Amino acid sequence: MSPGDGGPGPASDPRHRWHPIAAVDDLVFRHVYHGKLLGRELAVWRADDGFVNVWENRCLHRGVRLSIGASDGRELVCAYHGWRYANRTAGCTYIPAHPADAPARTICNRTFVAVERYGLVWSAEDPEGEAPPEAAELAGAETLVLRNLPVNAGAGLVIDGLAGYDPESLAAVARRTGDAAALQLGDGTAIVFFVQPVDSDRSVIRPVMTPAPPAADRIGVLRRHSAALEALRKNLEEEAARRPPAEPMTPALEQVPIHLAELPEPSPRGRQAPLRVRVARKWDTAADVAAFELESIAGQLPTFQPGAHIDVHLANGLVRQYSLTNGPGQLDRYRIGVKLEPESRGGSAAMHHTVREGDVLAVSEPRNNFPLRRNAERTVLIAGGIGITPLLAMAQALHHSNLGFELHCFARSPDHLAFGETLDRLGDSVTAHLGLSPADTAAAIARALEGRSPSDRVYGCGPAPMLAAVRELAEAAGWPAETVHFEYFANPTEIDDSSSFEVALARSALTLAVPAGRTVLEVLRDNGVDVASSCEVGACGTCSVGVIEGEPDHQDVYLTSAERAEGARMMACVSRSLGPRLILDL
Amino acid sequence: MITLYDYELSVNCYKQRLMMAILGVEYTSVPVDFYPGWEHKSAEFAKINPLGHIPVIDDDGFMLRDAHAILVYLASRYDPSRLWYPVDDPCRLGETAQWMLFAEGTTNTASSARLHDNLGYDFDIDAVRAGAHKLFRVMDEHLWFREREGLDWVVSGAHPTIADIALFPDVALSEEGGISRLDYPALRRWTDRVRRIPGFVTMPGVIALGESPWD
Amino acid sequence: MSVSGVCADPVVRDQWYALAAVDEIGADVSTRLLGLPIGYGLGPGGAARAWRADDGAPIPARVSYGYLWASVGEPPAEVFDVPETREPDRRIFNAGTLGLAVSAPRAVENFLDIAHFPYVHRGLLGDEPHTEVADYDVVDRDGEIWALGCRFHQPRAAAASTEEVVAQYQYRVPHPYCAMLYKSAPGHPDRLDAMGIFTHPLDDERIRAHLFLCLLDDVNTDATIRRFQQTILAQDMPILENQHPKRLPLDPRAETPVRCDKTAIAYRRWLSSLGVTYGVIPAGAG
Repeated sequence: MSPGDGGPGPASDPRHRWHPIAAVDDLVFRHVYHGKLLGRELAVWRADDGFVNVWENRCLHRGVRLSIGASDGRELVCAYHGWRYANRTAGCTYIPAHPADAPARTICNRTFVAVERYGLVWSAEDPEGEAPPEAAELAGAETLVLRNLPVNAGAGLVIDGLAGYDPESLAAVARRTGDAAALQLGDGTAIVFFVQPVDSDRSVIRPVMTPAPPAADRIGVLRRHSAALEALRKNLEEEAARRPPAEPMTPALEQVPIHLAELPEPSPRGRQAPLRVRVARKWDTAADVAAFELESIAGQLPTFQPGAHIDVHLANGLVRQYSLTNGPGQLDRYRIGVKLEPESRGGSAAMHHTVREGDVLAVSEPRNNFPLRRNAERTVLIAGGIGITPLLAMAQALHHSNLGFELHCFARSPDHLAFGETLDRLGDSVTAHLGLSPADTAAAIARALEGRSPSDRVYGCGPAPMLAAVRELAEAAGWPAETVHFEYFANPTEIDDSSSFEVALARSALTLAVPAGRTVLEVLRDNGVDVASSCEVGACGTCSVGVIEGEPDHQDVYLTSAERAEGARMMACVSRSLGPRLILDL
Repeated sequence: MITLYDYELSVNCYKQRLMMAILGVEYTSVPVDFYPGWEHKSAEFAKINPLGHIPVIDDDGFMLRDAHAILVYLASRYDPSRLWYPVDDPCRLGETAQWMLFAEGTTNTASSARLHDNLGYDFDIDAVRAGAHKLFRVMDEHLWFREREGLDWVVSGAHPTIADIALFPDVALSEEGGISRLDYPALRRWTDRVRRIPGFVTMPGVIALGESPWD
Repeated sequence: MSVSGVCADPVVRDQWYALAAVDEIGADVSTRLLGLPIGYGLGPGGAARAWRADDGAPIPARVSYGYLWASVGEPPAEVFDVPETREPDRRIFNAGTLGLAVSAPRAVENFLDIAHFPYVHRGLLGDEPHTEVADYDVVDRDGEIWALGCRFHQPRAAAASTEEVVAQYQYRVPHPYCAMLYKSAPGHPDRLDAMGIFTHPLDDERIRAHLFLCLLDDVNTDATIRRFQQTILAQDMPILENQHPKRLPLDPRAETPVRCDKTAIAYRRWLSSLGVTYGVIPAGAG
């Protein structure tokens, strides 16, 4: 029922109707408004992006009111254990007691709809219709929200009382509707008193006037109505006190999903994240590239070598690998760069949008599957886009040791060149190749690979097509395969896991069946054989295992073609067997 | 150096700690075993304050008692900007005095309810709660109209005064006396603003707002 | 569902409850216990006395561990044993008693919780970013819940601590409405300080919480230690009073636990298995 339709009192369940729960002005910057509707408490807050969140006022963990928590503009932080809940979804993004674990994606507070209309915020438990109904009196002209007034009286009593509201004897014509009283005053103004049913014996009067008085008169108008309503409230509360007390409303609290009622198991074996680091600094280092400095929260960060990466365990459950860009000896902080991938499955998006300064992240110890040989006379580093990150660590190490190197950075534009301040310090050894076509890129790579001496080395990191070009051009220029090293971001191969075979573990004296659809790594872990892993898509090389007998079906991009042909190692995460049986050095 | 005769859970002592923290005044806290020792009622303490209550300050031999009087002194002596106790503006000074007296009312109602519920003081709990709600309604309306004028504090003008400091603890701890602030949204927003004053410190029961939101 | 009613739950009714520290009792006191109006006081020679307010009939009363205990039912012969109280070098006293608008089980569960230290007791019992709760063990010992091997990084674990430590904790729940905590004692590497929360349930949503101390601290005065412990309890107050519902829900699907809540889970299950219905929302009743 709307104030505009002149209908009788509401017959429908009030939970299906829209009610005002706050004034738009109540939701000031980073404030958590404490509301209540039909006996249910609400935590209402506007995020920095403008979105109005209306949530059950209760942390799912231990029932603490979220209205005593803090908004940081993007998330609401519970005051009890620091659990964080995201704008819009109310999904839990972080549980500080278990910084290495992703909160289950379904830990999600109950949310309610919110619509802003007539300067009020409207919500409903289970609404009929997309928005609160129009109030005919308020159509067209500019409106002014008068001061709201909480009343210790039920909504029905309040609406009846409001129908007689005429403090200035303007011969008001009243219409009582379901959840409001609308007055047409003799001076041409109209006021609609929306009444918010807080509980069975409590309401809030939320008056909206139209047309809005001129700015100079507003305070006076607001004060007059505020005073008149206070007088009305006194009468209403005296009347309510004479009536028998009403039973308070007891809205049901939803149960949590069954799988959240049990204690979650500890993280599976395998990808361990023993380090806790705090994001000491986060900044934009290039277009779509965020840089992070991570400092230890306890003890010294472990040492790393140029080319090393860490696994970052994200709150959404994803694990991502990022190369350390630090120079030698920079062990106060790890520095990484993260490109926002348009196709992100949630890893780079979480790093960009969710992680912020002060956050604690669970990360692995640094691992190096892309080691830098320092016995070359000349080292050629070829970076495409965000592929600069491991090569930047290498370049600084070489620079510091006065070893000859050339760092070729390929990027779309100057704005896409990450860590410019570090590159500047490397002086003439750095060449930026900006905005080149694929053909020009190939020509530039070919020039970089000219004049090879026997001890020279090439390191490439970047998108797969570019690395393929480097591989081809190096081969054409006479670089032996073992002098050219690559790090891939990902494995572009579509993994075929349809084979089934047996693996025998030479040192563990175990023979295990690997069925189709399961990886060697999974089968090993299921049987208590732990193998370190990182990317788990055949790109990083962490889960490399020795092959004693049998012919691996590699499918990775980490091994060189020579290493592949040799068949002495394989990646447990993606490699399989071409024959019925492999014997592994485990 | 100021010495503050202090009890951690006292709202009136907190008012002094808060004012001194905001003004950057160093002080020494002398803990008084208020509960369960009732040290403030001891013969020994009567030499410090014959009325037997805290806080009392001793500023290099200058002794002063009564929470709101001490606020007047601290701001007058240690705020060179003369904004916290606005002696140069008769209207604001009058308003400050008015709201300091109002704060006597919030202390006698909201904070009495808290002493009843927390420490078992013998007050008519229904009466003190009803009294607090009456005052909170007045404050909420006042602060709502202040917001309409673009003002943040109980006294007019752009700067908070000792009246905000005198009122804040009684309001912020009201729920410990069973007085919900659900019906007072403007009052709740004002408690956020006070908690964002540079130098703000908490006391047990007052939840900080966390990191500065202005990052 | 009755709220603030008189207790009809025999498990809860037939327990001892600490009403007040003996050295804080002056004249006779009127109060409520489990919703029932009662009175208590000290008779000649310091003997404990307690009675029903309606007819003046005496109810069981005794003095243990420095408190006057009483019961509105048929309590066991003894209050649960705290063997540490027999060690002569310990200081035994009440740190303070504070009234709280919450059920006793919510308060006990909070006492068993470590993960809130960096948020609620910032700078005293915990500090960001040292928020991680390492795994620990929960066992049943003679029908009591024990949590063993808890460790937590603390800036200032006790009044006697001056520097950051990794504090060792054990918890013990010997009574549905009381819990003990044993933690590393500064200056006593081989022994543990003991402290407890003994609740006096006025009804099912309002308590008075006593903080019982049995400490090895030989440095600080009682007043200093009390100030520290009262601060801790008062910091918990706004959290406890803002828990909804006020009674502890025992249905596993009422709230979401994580691994660090093992003790709380065991406590909730234990209350269910004892058949406790007062101060809780029994499973299936919500």
